[in-house]
Amino acid sequence: MLFKSVADVQTRMEQAGYIPSQEISTIVFLAQETQKPVLIEGPAGVGKTELAKCIAACLERQMIRLQCYEGLDESKALYEWAYAKQLLYTQMLKEKINDVISDTASLAQAVDEIARHEDAFFSDRFLQTRPLLSAITSPDPVVLLIDEVDKSDPEFEAFLLELLSDFQVTIPELGTIAAKSRPFVVLTSNNYRDMSDALKRRCIHLYIDYPAIETEKEIVRLKIPGIEERLLDKVVQTVARIRQLDLKKKPCISETLDWARSLMILQQDEITEDVIFRTLNTLCKHKTDYGVVRANIGQLIKA
Amino acid sequence: MVNLILKFVSCCRAADMRISTAEVIDCLSQLEIMDTCEEPLFQTILRANFAKSRREQGVFNRLYHLFFHEMPSGLNPESLFSEEIQAGQSQAPEPSMNELLRQLKESQDDTHHTQNQGDTLDRALMAFLGGSPLPFIEAVQKIHTQDEQASPLFKSNLGQLSSRLDIMLRINRLKTQMVQFLGSNNAWAEKDVPSVTAAVNRRLDKALEFLNTEPRPDNAGLRETGSHTLHYKTLGQIPFSNLTLEEIKAVKEIIDKLVRKLEEITSRRFSAASRGVVDVKKTIQRSVKYLGVPVEIVHKAKPLRKGKIVALCDVSGSVWSTARFMLNILYSLKTCFSRVKSHVFIDRTFDVTSFFMSHDANEAIKRILNDTRINYNARTDYGMAFQQFRDHHFQELDKKTTLIIIGDARSNYYNPREPLLEAMRDRCRRLIWLNPEQEKFWGTGDSEMLKYRDHCNEARACGNLNQLMAFIEALVL
Ligand SMILES: Nc1ncnc2c1ncn2[C@@H]1O[C@H](COP(=O)(O)OP(=O)(O)O)[C@@H](O)[C@H]1O
Ligand SMILES: [Mg+2]
Repeated sequence: MLFKSVADVQTRMEQAGYIPSQEISTIVFLAQETQKPVLIEGPAGVGKTELAKCIAACLERQMIRLQCYEGLDESKALYEWAYAKQLLYTQMLKEKINDVISDTASLAQAVDEIARHEDAFFSDRFLQTRPLLSAITSPDPVVLLIDEVDKSDPEFEAFLLELLSDFQVTIPELGTIAAKSRPFVVLTSNNYRDMSDALKRRCIHLYIDYPAIETEKEIVRLKIPGIEERLLDKVVQTVARIRQLDLKKKPCISETLDWARSLMILQQDEITEDVIFRTLNTLCKHKTDYGVVRANIGQLIKA
Repeated sequence: MVNLILKFVSCCRAADMRISTAEVIDCLSQLEIMDTCEEPLFQTILRANFAKSRREQGVFNRLYHLFFHEMPSGLNPESLFSEEIQAGQSQAPEPSMNELLRQLKESQDDTHHTQNQGDTLDRALMAFLGGSPLPFIEAVQKIHTQDEQASPLFKSNLGQLSSRLDIMLRINRLKTQMVQFLGSNNAWAEKDVPSVTAAVNRRLDKALEFLNTEPRPDNAGLRETGSHTLHYKTLGQIPFSNLTLEEIKAVKEIIDKLVRKLEEITSRRFSAASRGVVDVKKTIQRSVKYLGVPVEIVHKAKPLRKGKIVALCDVSGSVWSTARFMLNILYSLKTCFSRVKSHVFIDRTFDVTSFFMSHDANEAIKRILNDTRINYNARTDYGMAFQQFRDHHFQELDKKTTLIIIGDARSNYYNPREPLLEAMRDRCRRLIWLNPEQEKFWGTGDSEMLKYRDHCNEARACGNLNQLMAFIEALVL
């Protein structure tokens, strides 16, 4: 069932386990109403992928995910002919093929005859659909997540642009296939490179930043129901302060969750210098960042 | 509402934001869907349609604030959110302020009849006072992007500063003029004077602030490197500029080994990749020859994946020792890329690609160093080098090109011209800056690195063998 309003987005997302900001709910609602793709930008781990999953859950739609990487091409994203199967069939049907060409006088005629039967080999039976084709041929509308689109090559981006503008694809052997239903499209980017103006023009833009203190508390409460308020407050405050430091990689939401869990396991309810040092590896992944945290430790644990 | 949005869009465009008509239409239709006067929602919708990357959001937010909060409601009747009204600050009734502006303008027109450049600026300021910031934004944008004169005799980095100063002086003059005007004009009701003066001053201060503060783009996607694996303990950590001759030889040998290793890996990978997928149609058609047995399997040709490289190297002083290793490597690995072009610069750029085409890397580097056309005594000027690169080599950049700049970003306090760097970033696939100085020195003294870093996709310290090797591996693999 579609979202009825921005407020409706908010409530249903929360029920599905995702705490959206006002901005997120607004953009999701607008994207649904205008049927435009959403381009989500933001640092790693702020819930970009999760948002798409949650939209699918709320709308009770299947989610189809295309993970992008350097070198991704149409055969991996759209469709590919199952050539092994095709070859197998030609082997098995050798007799039949001989029948077809048995009456022909010349080689040229034989080729023509074979060509007449070519269609049999380029039918749905031999078509391997990949995520994009599945998304537009699905009879029920789906949520299409094109994850980390910044990792794909410019050629692929151009192809994607075409798909997103008319929601149809042309398969030379089969003709043009138009979407049976408009998918709800979500693209995510980690900013490895800038996306083209043309692609950006097609989309509504959403930047997800690290969450505000209160939002992050809500997320932790949701994921770790038993957590004590006092510890929760300290954890979220400290992580927010660590994010202020000039780190190579700032701790993201799942790292906040990991840290909170390990503090609970260690039964720590105070966050002291010593506690931070002992558990730092759940928060920071880079060695050089350890040094930065150590150098600023006083600032982190002040009341 | 439509007019208001269109006016705002012109301001955004004047500040060099690229907003298409389609996006304006999208925005308007979304505003209609939401049917709202709630500001956060309004702002969200505008931002989602007009600033489509984190980098642009800074410029957007500033213009948004200026336009919807600082400008008088009198001229933007639908400007619902103006702080002046909300805070009740504006004791000065807009009508009397407008009246003042009109009279002031008349008196100005009386004094100078000629329509020259100065008049344009004055008029822009008056328009700003009157609630139309567009001409003023245009004027400020022009300052940010103006070229410096490339005169060989007298070189000045003052173009930008003096234009800025000119506007500042004009603002001050306008303030004085207003005081004089009000003082000498008894047609003005006594009680209005202080509040009108305050309102005008406040707005002129906003203009000053807008002129003098540039928003730094939030370079959210910047890649920086963390800890490197230490390939070589001591040798790997010595700054390139401190290597002895013997150490240079050792470093070269290690680099050669690395190059061979990388070539091997990539050639294996590309020979597999270049075969591409099976072309079924052709395979089946050919199998007819062999009674349906697919003897010949036809592959679709597939181009190399790694794109083009353009290197732009500072060859002054200490940077050169890093740049030469880098150039050496890039050309040794040229089979891994579909094209490598290179330029060196001190105060102007010089295309050195041809040196590497006709000689091996070491010989090419020797020849570059001895080339009399490069003035090794000049003072490094990044801004000028970028400007020349823009004027002569911009066509080399496209979305398949990785631009690698090697330099310490020390530009002798000349105008850094970082908008040019941003323009380069916009044209290429990725912009990577390698700085031979370690990060703690970035931004100290005449280093413009922090400004430049805002426009890079990736910024690394690259001053010793370990850092160079880490970078090369990341680039090629
Ligand atoms: N707003 C949110 N509400 C609930 N959980 C969240 C939220 N944002 C992030 N998370 C948590 O953070 C984790 C990482 O998010 P993910 O979508 O993988 O990040 P990204 O795709 O941005 O790198 C998710 O598994 C989820 O548990
Ligand atoms: Mg993700």
